[in-house]
Amino acid sequence: MAYFQTAKQAASLLTLALCLVAVPFVTNDFRAYQLGTYLLYGVVAQGVALVWGRLGFLPLGQALFFGLGAYVAGLLLIHAQDNALLYLLLPLSILVPALLAYLVARLVFAGQYVSGPDFSLITLAFTMLGAQLANQFTGLTGGFNGLANIPQLGDLDRYSSMYFLIVALVLFSTALLSWLYQTPLGTLWLAISQNENRLQFFGFATDKLKAGAFALSAALAGSAGFLYAAQQGLVTPQAIGFQLSAELVIWTAVGGRFGPYGALLGAVGIGLLSSDLREIWVHWEVLVALLFIAVVLYFPGGMAHLLLNAYQFINRRSGTHVPAYAVAPKTPGLRAPPIQSCGGDSGTVHLRFDNVSVQRNEVSILNGLSLAVEHAGVYCLIGPNGAGKTSSFNVLTGRLARTSGDIFLDSQRVTGHRADVMARAGVGRKFQIPSVFNGLSVTDNLRIALWSNRAQARQLLESTTRQWRTDMLDFLENTFTFLADQADKPAGELSQGQRQMLELSMTLLAEPRLLLLDEPCAGLSTAETQQQIEVIVQAVSRLGSTALVIEHDMAAVQRLSNEVFVLHQGQLLANGTLKQMQESPLVQAVYAGGQK
Amino acid sequence: MDSSTITLLLNLVYHVLVLSLVALGLGIVFGMLGVMNMAQGEFLTLGAYAMVVAQRMQIAAGWGILLAILVTATLGYLIERWLVRPLQARPLDTLLATWGLSLLVRKGIEAVFGRQYQNITQQIGGSTQIFSVDYPSYRLALMLAIVCGLLMLGLWYKHSTAGTRLKASVANPVLAQAIGIDVKRQACMAFVCGVACTGLAGALLAPLVRVEPLMGMDYLLGSFFVLVVGGLGSLSGLFAGAGIIGSTQVLVSTMLDQTYGYLAVLTLSIGFLWLRPHGLLSNR
Amino acid sequence: MSLPAQPNHKTGLVVQHISGGYGDTLVLRGVSFSLGQGQVLGIVGRNGVGKTSLLRLITGHLPVAGGTVSWQGRRMGKAPAYVNRDLGISYAPQEAVVFDALTVSENLNLRQRNLDACQAFFYSFPLVRQRRNQKSGVLSGGEKKLVSFVRVMAEGADLTVMDEPTEGVQQENIALMAAHVRQRCEQGASFIIAEQNLTFLLSVMHQVLVLDNGETVFQSDAFDREGLEQFLRI
Repeated sequence: MAYFQTAKQAASLLTLALCLVAVPFVTNDFRAYQLGTYLLYGVVAQGVALVWGRLGFLPLGQALFFGLGAYVAGLLLIHAQDNALLYLLLPLSILVPALLAYLVARLVFAGQYVSGPDFSLITLAFTMLGAQLANQFTGLTGGFNGLANIPQLGDLDRYSSMYFLIVALVLFSTALLSWLYQTPLGTLWLAISQNENRLQFFGFATDKLKAGAFALSAALAGSAGFLYAAQQGLVTPQAIGFQLSAELVIWTAVGGRFGPYGALLGAVGIGLLSSDLREIWVHWEVLVALLFIAVVLYFPGGMAHLLLNAYQFINRRSGTHVPAYAVAPKTPGLRAPPIQSCGGDSGTVHLRFDNVSVQRNEVSILNGLSLAVEHAGVYCLIGPNGAGKTSSFNVLTGRLARTSGDIFLDSQRVTGHRADVMARAGVGRKFQIPSVFNGLSVTDNLRIALWSNRAQARQLLESTTRQWRTDMLDFLENTFTFLADQADKPAGELSQGQRQMLELSMTLLAEPRLLLLDEPCAGLSTAETQQQIEVIVQAVSRLGSTALVIEHDMAAVQRLSNEVFVLHQGQLLANGTLKQMQESPLVQAVYAGGQK
Repeated sequence: MDSSTITLLLNLVYHVLVLSLVALGLGIVFGMLGVMNMAQGEFLTLGAYAMVVAQRMQIAAGWGILLAILVTATLGYLIERWLVRPLQARPLDTLLATWGLSLLVRKGIEAVFGRQYQNITQQIGGSTQIFSVDYPSYRLALMLAIVCGLLMLGLWYKHSTAGTRLKASVANPVLAQAIGIDVKRQACMAFVCGVACTGLAGALLAPLVRVEPLMGMDYLLGSFFVLVVGGLGSLSGLFAGAGIIGSTQVLVSTMLDQTYGYLAVLTLSIGFLWLRPHGLLSNR
Repeated sequence: MSLPAQPNHKTGLVVQHISGGYGDTLVLRGVSFSLGQGQVLGIVGRNGVGKTSLLRLITGHLPVAGGTVSWQGRRMGKAPAYVNRDLGISYAPQEAVVFDALTVSENLNLRQRNLDACQAFFYSFPLVRQRRNQKSGVLSGGEKKLVSFVRVMAEGADLTVMDEPTEGVQQENIALMAAHVRQRCEQGASFIIAEQNLTFLLSVMHQVLVLDNGETVFQSDAFDREGLEQFLRI
C-alpha cells in the first residue's frame, strides 16, 4: 500500500519542484518574484482546501491568519534590526494564527455536533475585524498605508534568492498535506466531511479534530504571511481583509479543493491571471464570479479534477490502466492492539435508567423510564411507535437532553454525556437507517471502526495502522462475504441491505461493552435477517457484551433474546421472557388494541 | 437628564430599530425557512443602489423605493426557484451557491457603478426638536416608520389567515400539505418577502449610510449576530437579539471606539455560540 | 382470502400491487384493494408492519415505487401531496396531528372559513369547543387526536384517510367518533382507517386488510374479532 502511494506522491512532488525551480531560469527574476507572491497565496489556499475540501467546513476569512502572520513577522523583522533576539520570536508569526484558529474553532464547534454556517460567518466577521484593526492602529500597523520598510530576511535578496525559500515552503506544505491526506488521520478527516455525526459514535472528538486541522491551515497561512512580509517589504490591510479571503476561496474552488495541487493551481492560475486582466477588462471579475458558481454547482473538483480526468482518459485510451481508487495490495495484516475504553474496564456492563423523563414543548417523549440491565447478553426493546425506544438510545448517547432523572453506566452517572464520550466509555450504537461513510470504501469504513478506542494519536499517522486486523474482523468477513469481495467499493454504492450489514459490522468491530442496535434487520430479506441475527448472537457472546436491540419483528425477537423490555408511552410497561410478555394481558392490550 | 445622554439614548433606540429592520429579512430566510443566504447583504446593497438609480434618473424617491422592492423581489424569486429549491437538502452547497451569488452581485454593481461611494440626498432634511435635543428628522421619521411597520407585521403574522398558513407550513409541512396548503409556494413567497424586506431596508437607509458595493457584508454579519443571540424563528427573538447587539455596539462604541464596539459584538456572539447555541428565545 | 366486489371505477379508490419505501428498501410490497362509495376499509397490523407507509403512499406523502393508485378514475402519483385535498381526499396523519403553535379553532379554520361544518362535532365533543382558543400544543395526546378527527371530518371529503384516530382518546368519545363515521358513510363518504383499536374498527368497517412485514396476510369483507386478534398477538 505504502509503495504505490509514496511513488506517485514522490513523482508529483518532484515534478512540481523541477517546474518551480526552473522558472527564474526559463523566464526572468521578475516573473519569478511575481510567481512567488502567488505561490504564497497558494500555500494559504492549500489550507483552505484542507479545511473545506477534506473536512467539509468553509473558512471565509483565511486571510486573517495570513495577514496576522505577515504583520507579526514584519514588526519583528523591523525591530530585530535593533535587537537581534527578536529573530527568535519569528515562529510567533506561525504560532499566533494557529492558536487563535484553534481557540475560535473549539468555541464555535463546542455547542453543535455538526458544522453549520456559524463557523463560516464567524471567520468572515474576524477577517473584517482584522482589517479594521489594521487600519486603525496606525502606530503599530502603519494604518491604511501599511507596515513599510520591512527588511529582507537575512541575506536572501527579495528579488532573487527569496524565491527559492518560497519554493521550499510550497514543497514542504504540499508534501506535508499529501502525506497527511493518506494517513489514517486523513481518512478520519474525510469521514468528518461525510458523516460527522457517525464518527462521534466511534469515540472521535470531531470538534477537536476540526479545530486541529483549522489550526494547521492557520499555521500554513501564517508561515506564508511571514515570507510574504519578507518578500514584499510591505504589509497593508489588504493582506488581512475580506477581499483576499474571498479570492482565496474562489481560487481554491476553481483550482480544485480536494487536494493541495489543485489549490496551488487555482491561486497561481486564476490569481496571476486576475492580477493581469483585472485592470484591462472590467468584466473579468464578473466572469470569475460566474466561473465560481459554475464550479460549485457542476464541477466541484475544479480544474485539477478535470485535468486528472483528462489524464486518466488519455491513459485508458492508450491502454495503460489507471485504477479508480488506490488499490491496496493484500498484506497479511497486523494484529491490532487491544481496546482501551475509559471508565469501568472489561467486565459486565451495568446499565440503569432512573426515572428518566424528556419533555419537549409539552409533549412527553419519555415519561419516567426506569430499567436496569445487569447481566451480559441480548435484550430486546419492543413496544408501539412513539413508545420511546429510539429516544431512550438518544438520551443515553447525548443526542436528547433529559428533563429529569439520571442514567448510570457501571455505577457512574453518565447523564448528558456527549456521544463521543459515551462511545469511549464502551457504548456502541447502530442506527435505524444505516449510517456509514458513503464516500469511503467498505474497507475504510471497517478501518475507522477498528481504530475506534484503539488507535492512539501517533498511530493515526502511521500507515501500518491501516493493516490492522482482529479476530472479529475475520469472523465478520467470513459471514458477510461482500466485505472482502467488494472491499474497494464506496459504501454509498452498496444496497441498503448491505449497508445494514456493513454498519452492524462496524459497530461490532469497535467491540463495545454495551451495544445499542436500532432495528438491525430493517429492510433485510428473510435470509439476510437470519444471517444478521446469527451474527449478533455470536458476536455478543464472543465479546461478553450486553446488547439492547429494538425490534418489531417478533420472530427475530424470539431468536435474538430471552429477555424483553416492553416500552409504552415513554415508560417501561413490563419485562420478562418473551413467553411471559405474550401471555401478559397488560401487554396484549397494548398490542391487540381494544380497551387501552 | 443632560442632552448628551438623551442623544445617546436616541442613538441607541435608532440603532436597535435599524438592526431589527435589517435583520428581519435574514430572520425570515434563515430563522424561519432555514436557508443560509450569504447574499442577503447584497439585497440590501441592491435596494440602496435602486435609490442611486432613481436619483440619477431624477425621479421621486418613492419610485426608488418601489424599484428597490421590485428588483429584490424578482431576483429573490429567481434564486428561490433555481438555486435554493434544488439545493434544499444540501445546506453547505446552498451556502456556497449564495456566496457565489453575492460575489456576482458585488462585482456586477462594481462594474456598472464603480467602487466609489454614492451620495443619496435625504428626503426629509434638517433636524427636529425632541426631548429638548435636536435630532435629524430623517432618522426620526425612519424610526417611526420601522416601529409602525414591525407592529403591523407582528399583528399580521399573529392574526391573519395568510400568516397562520405560513406558520403552519413552516412548523408542520406534512400536515399543511394534507390540509391542502402548497407548502413549496408558501416557502417561495416567504423567501421573496424576506429578501424584499432587506431590499426595502437598503432603500430607506441609503441616505444615511455609506453606499458602496461592499456595504452588504456588514449588514449580513450584523443580522447573523442578532439571530445568534436572539434565537431563530420568532419575532420576539429578533427584537431581543437586536436589542442586545444594538445596545452593546452603541454603548461600547460611544465609550471607547467603533472598532471596540464591533469587537464586543463579535465576542458576545462567539460566547453565545459556545454556551447557548440556540440563542435566547429559540423556536426551533 | 376473498376480495370484495369491484366498485364503480368512477367513484372509488382502486389500489393495485402498490409498493414503496425509503431509499432502496421497500417497506410495503404488492398491496391491492378496492374501495367503493360509502365503504370503510380497516387496516390492521402491529407496529412497524407498514400501515402508516400504506396510508402515506395513498395520500401522496411517500413516492410510489411500483403499482398504481387510481381515485375516481384518475391515476395518482405524480402530483405533489397538497393537491389531494382538492381532489377529495383528506388525511389525518398518525404523528404531529395538529399545529401545536396554533389555537384549536385556527387548526380547524385553516382551509375553510366557516365553523358551521364543525357544529355537529362541537355538540358531540364539547371539549373541543371549550378549548377552541387554547394553543393546541398544551392539549393531551388524546385531545389532539380528537381535534384532528374533527378537522378531517369537517372537511367533508369523499375519501377520508385516518391513521390511528383513536390513539389516546377516551372511551366515550371513541364511540361517538364511530357514530360520526357511520353517519358520513350513509351519506356516501369512504374511509380508510389504520387502527389498533379493534372495537372501534369492528363497529365501522366493511372490509379489512391485515398487514404483516409489509405484505397482506389477510383481506376480506367477512371477519370476526378473534380472528383479527390472532394477527395482532406478539
